[in-house]
Amino acid sequence: MTRWTQDRAFLALIAVLVIVAVAMPVLEPSRYLTNAIGQLAAFAVLALSLDLIWGYLGILSLGHGLFFAIGGYVIAMHLLKHSFEVTGTVPDFLQFMGWKDFPFYWAGFGSFPYALVIAIAVTTLIAGVFGYVSFRSRVGGVYFAIITQALVYVAMLLMFRNDTGFGGNNGMTGFAVVFGWPIGTTGMITAMAVVSVLALAGVLLACRMLVGSRFGALMLATRDDETRLRTLGYETLRLKLAVWCLSALIAMLAGMLYVPQVGIINPRVLSPELSLEIAVWVAIGGRGHLVGAVIGALLVNAVKFWLSSAAPEVWPFILSGLIVLVVLVFPNGLVDLAKFRLTRPMGAKRLATEIGEAR
Amino acid sequence: MTRCIHLLLALAGTLLALPAMAAPLDRPALIAQLCGNAGAMGEAGAALLALAAAGSAEDRGWAAPLAKALIDKKLACDDTGAVLGDVDAVTRAPRTAPDTARTPVLSLKNRAVFETADAALALRSAPDTDQRAAALRTLERRPGSLPEGLLDAAAASESDAGLRTQIETLAQTAALNSPDMAKRINAINRIAETPSRRALTQISALKADPAYASDAGFRQAVDRAVGRIDRGIAIGDTLAALYNGLSFASILFMAAIGLAIIFGLMGVINLAQGELIMIGAYVTYLVQEALRHLVPALLDWYLVLAIPFAFLVTAAIGIALEASLLRHLYKRPLMSLLATWAVSLFLVNLVRVIFGTQNLQFETPFYVTGGVPVIGDFIFTWNRMFAIAFAVATLAITWAVVRKTPLGLNIRAVTQNRDMAACIGIPTRRVDMMAFGLGSGLAGLAGLALSPIYSVNPQMGQNFIIDSFMVVVLGGVGTIAGTVVAALGIGQINVLIEPLWGAVAAKVIVLLMIIGFLQWRPEGLFAVKGCRK
Repeated sequence: MTRWTQDRAFLALIAVLVIVAVAMPVLEPSRYLTNAIGQLAAFAVLALSLDLIWGYLGILSLGHGLFFAIGGYVIAMHLLKHSFEVTGTVPDFLQFMGWKDFPFYWAGFGSFPYALVIAIAVTTLIAGVFGYVSFRSRVGGVYFAIITQALVYVAMLLMFRNDTGFGGNNGMTGFAVVFGWPIGTTGMITAMAVVSVLALAGVLLACRMLVGSRFGALMLATRDDETRLRTLGYETLRLKLAVWCLSALIAMLAGMLYVPQVGIINPRVLSPELSLEIAVWVAIGGRGHLVGAVIGALLVNAVKFWLSSAAPEVWPFILSGLIVLVVLVFPNGLVDLAKFRLTRPMGAKRLATEIGEAR
Repeated sequence: MTRCIHLLLALAGTLLALPAMAAPLDRPALIAQLCGNAGAMGEAGAALLALAAAGSAEDRGWAAPLAKALIDKKLACDDTGAVLGDVDAVTRAPRTAPDTARTPVLSLKNRAVFETADAALALRSAPDTDQRAAALRTLERRPGSLPEGLLDAAAASESDAGLRTQIETLAQTAALNSPDMAKRINAINRIAETPSRRALTQISALKADPAYASDAGFRQAVDRAVGRIDRGIAIGDTLAALYNGLSFASILFMAAIGLAIIFGLMGVINLAQGELIMIGAYVTYLVQEALRHLVPALLDWYLVLAIPFAFLVTAAIGIALEASLLRHLYKRPLMSLLATWAVSLFLVNLVRVIFGTQNLQFETPFYVTGGVPVIGDFIFTWNRMFAIAFAVATLAITWAVVRKTPLGLNIRAVTQNRDMAACIGIPTRRVDMMAFGLGSGLAGLAGLALSPIYSVNPQMGQNFIIDSFMVVVLGGVGTIAGTVVAALGIGQINVLIEPLWGAVAAKVIVLLMIIGFLQWRPEGLFAVKGCRK
């Protein structure tokens, strides 16, 4: 029963995403709108990655921007190297440092499969090592949140340095071509947006299958009573580590989708604020609900897109008000709102169980 | 210390030298020489110069206007002597110059002597510090022509500390280039007594001097001095590193102690703590501005007068925060994390809208200005000392509150076991509120202590929050001792690593060390049992 209602929202969302993906090349909305939809989809993938680990495993990471940034930096390196092979111009930040050529660790980034392998390897390595040492010593809850925040902060400080060969404080920009096509054309913008929306649908589907499986049940059990699960003979360390790495990889994918669409990456994506905001999207949408996380990310970022051009000084106040409202009045995020609206005809008792279960 | 000895030696030297050199001055003869031919005037100039170095105070006072008068052509010579303006040059009794009087003119060579003599006399006896400083600037241009003992005597009688240091430096430079080898070696040894990088450059330059190759004694003295200065610089650098580490630790402690109390009590990480620090600094600024308009006489004391305001305003904000928001979230620490972040976002933007984003301008009162040079290049600066003293006082008061008051007893009880404390009748709700107020007020005090050292703007809170988290995580839940030890540790490690590999590397290494440390003790240095959320 529960699964059916949840699936209904889930199926509706998947349907909407597919329709949007199909409609964009057909209806040809403005470049700005198309680009915004693509960016929102990338953010929604990022929110899904955090919801997987926070909503279903109870581990709050305040450093998911780190994995997002790995994806973003690697794709930016690929795009620059690729552009260099086509146009022959060395990026500004290298000229600025007085370097004639790319540093040696940029070798091979002209090939996308190589860049992808590197991104996956680096993400898995960092997430794996950090997750292993943290989960092994049972650092959890608030402690884990703080350490991850410090991790992303330190990474930001590192990337702000200009001598690392990763663009320093100015970041990387000036991408010219993607897979051989010029990046600024309407067709390319639409293509990237469609890919992002489809990727979101795909990640959503995959996550849904994961949390609906037996493995997903184990995840919920770990979240609710890890000690008991361990007593029963389950190895929660490996389980947590696996989900943590998977979550990091999804965040990395979001970064790879995001950067070509905005055309720039700089150390600001590593600021603790962005990583905190991801948690806010999930909390507003409803953590422990994949659909909620997606809707939260889309909603918050849509409002942010609109307000940061219409009334930039108001946005932080709106965001903080929204967080306080959600935290105090709708502890489960917008899912609580859905409880009042969508499901009234279905009988309150059944819904109460559903909400309680997902907490 | 070495400076004091140095001064005493200089003083003793002057006292010994004076009686031997002081001979009764024949004032009419000197005036006659001044009115004489170029040769006689030259002798008079030299006599004036000698007077500046070794004459009695009375004679120097008498001679002080003479050189200047001659340069300005204000000395009128006649048969009975000379008239200086409208007084007799010898007796200083009122007298007008006869029409037959003539004005002696200085030759180019004598002019330089008289300018030096004028400056030397002014350095010894001008009442105004600025005049003496100007005289010193004149003398600095011709260190070779100064009579022996002049600068030592001037340094010994100088009342202004800054000017005295300048005089001593000039004395050393003069002696270092003196033709007398014994004097040079003596000067080298004296410079080595106050080691600094500047002294090292000064002495090392002497290795290129021809005397270094030819004179064994000189070479030995130079080498010994270089070694001594090197040692002094090394000691000074070590002390400076320790002192900087201590002051950084005290700032970390100030930023973290409030956080630690709140975290220990409720398991709530207050992400708005950095903004409470920022508000403490802004309240300090407002107190300063209020004093500027109402009681300008007390402006220098704003740092002290702002203490209760900074504490009470931030404590009130903390209590309001607790009562309106956080008390609903005790069972959900991760949500309270987000809620406090929302508060921090709100506060930053509120302050930005009201005050703008620019750095605030703070007065630097005299008690946080300057410092005392100790050894090498280590200067014991007062603003850092202020931060350290403030942190120590805060530590003492916090410790007393937590250990010696009924509120502290309740806080400790609730920290250890909330349910049990509630069972025996401790009003846990009120304790939470008071503790939150205490923790927030301490953040406000941190802001006050920071305002003379750091730039104050709406973003400043974010610079401290991560560092203070690290302190809390390393120190363990809510123990004062843990916070102190962790702050000291992180502060010193930072300062030790920073000069080697830079600030970023220091942050990276500290984070890695903390992650490593948590493998060994996941609950921090001083974990209180049974309160981990």
